Amino acid sequence: MISDYLESLAGALSFDRALSRCVRQEVEDHLWEAVAADPSDDRLEAQRRAIANFGDPHVIAAQFAVISLAKQTRRVGGAIILVVAGVFIAMKARVAWYAATQWAISDDMRAASAIVGLIDSYSFWLSVIIGIGGWAYISGRPIPAAFYPAYRRQLHRSFLLCAAATGALVVSVISDGVLTALRLLGTELCAGFLIPIFSMAIEIACASVLVFQIRSITQRATSTAALLKT
Amino acid sequence: MLKGHLDMIVLAALSAGPAHGYAVIEEIRRKSGQAFDLPEGTIYPALHRLEQAGLLASRWVTAESGRRRRVYALTRRGDRALAERRVVWRQFSDAIGGLLAGTPPSRKPA
Repeated sequence: MISDYLESLAGALSFDRALSRCVRQEVEDHLWEAVAADPSDDRLEAQRRAIANFGDPHVIAAQFAVISLAKQTRRVGGAIILVVAGVFIAMKARVAWYAATQWAISDDMRAASAIVGLIDSYSFWLSVIIGIGGWAYISGRPIPAAFYPAYRRQLHRSFLLCAAATGALVVSVISDGVLTALRLLGTELCAGFLIPIFSMAIEIACASVLVFQIRSITQRATSTAALLKT
Repeated sequence: MLKGHLDMIVLAALSAGPAHGYAVIEEIRRKSGQAFDLPEGTIYPALHRLEQAGLLASRWVTAESGRRRRVYALTRRGDRALAERRVVWRQFSDAIGGLLAGTPPSRKPA
């Protein structure tokens, strides 16, 4: 009986595996302790009472889901700052490499490079501004005891800020990729290609981490909304 | 009404020392003279939320039964938060007491 209850609770939290595992262990310990403390000789009745006193697994899972969603939003808020810093370092390292090796862009690529460079610059600094603003907004707000409408709006705003910062960063990384390709296209293949390609790989990895984290927020938000409806 | 004070209740229950969820619930029942009989499951999300806020810290231990058990303790921030809530609660309680008794409160409410 207890294991069925635990399955139901852990299953409702399956969108956050670490939390699901942790809650399962914690609640399992609680329920068996409640059974041990029950004065009744009927073990099945004691289990039934322990489960009834603990409450509806979906109601409890919904409370945990709200915490998980808030935690993930905070994590993404902090990750944006780190990822933007990572992209900036990779970008500057590549530019420094070009300067050190006097690797100039070919004349016929110069016009296209200037336009893409402008898009890159604006989108990168936009992601920095939104990222810092989003982080300040998210980290300055505590998690309330219940999923109030005001908190729902706050989470929605936090998500929009994270998504906007990530979107701008993705545009910047794509622009960086185009700029790198334009520079590489005009030159012959050599070992020096590895440095810009490696720095681009770092930028793509950083942006992918953020996109994955944003996706995780949407998954948790969907699961939380479904649990709150039940 | 009880739900609005859940954080303070949990912090107060842990002020005696580290405890796991079941012991926290027992402590709440004992200290409140069985007056607060909360749905047991609601304590765990509160414990997780308070830990997330930095007011509690937790560690996993192995109980005598061999099961894994999560033990919570107040952090320094949690201690300070509880002290602040105690002051606010006393002021509120004095104010309400005075209001119901028809006498002015002994202290100014926050």
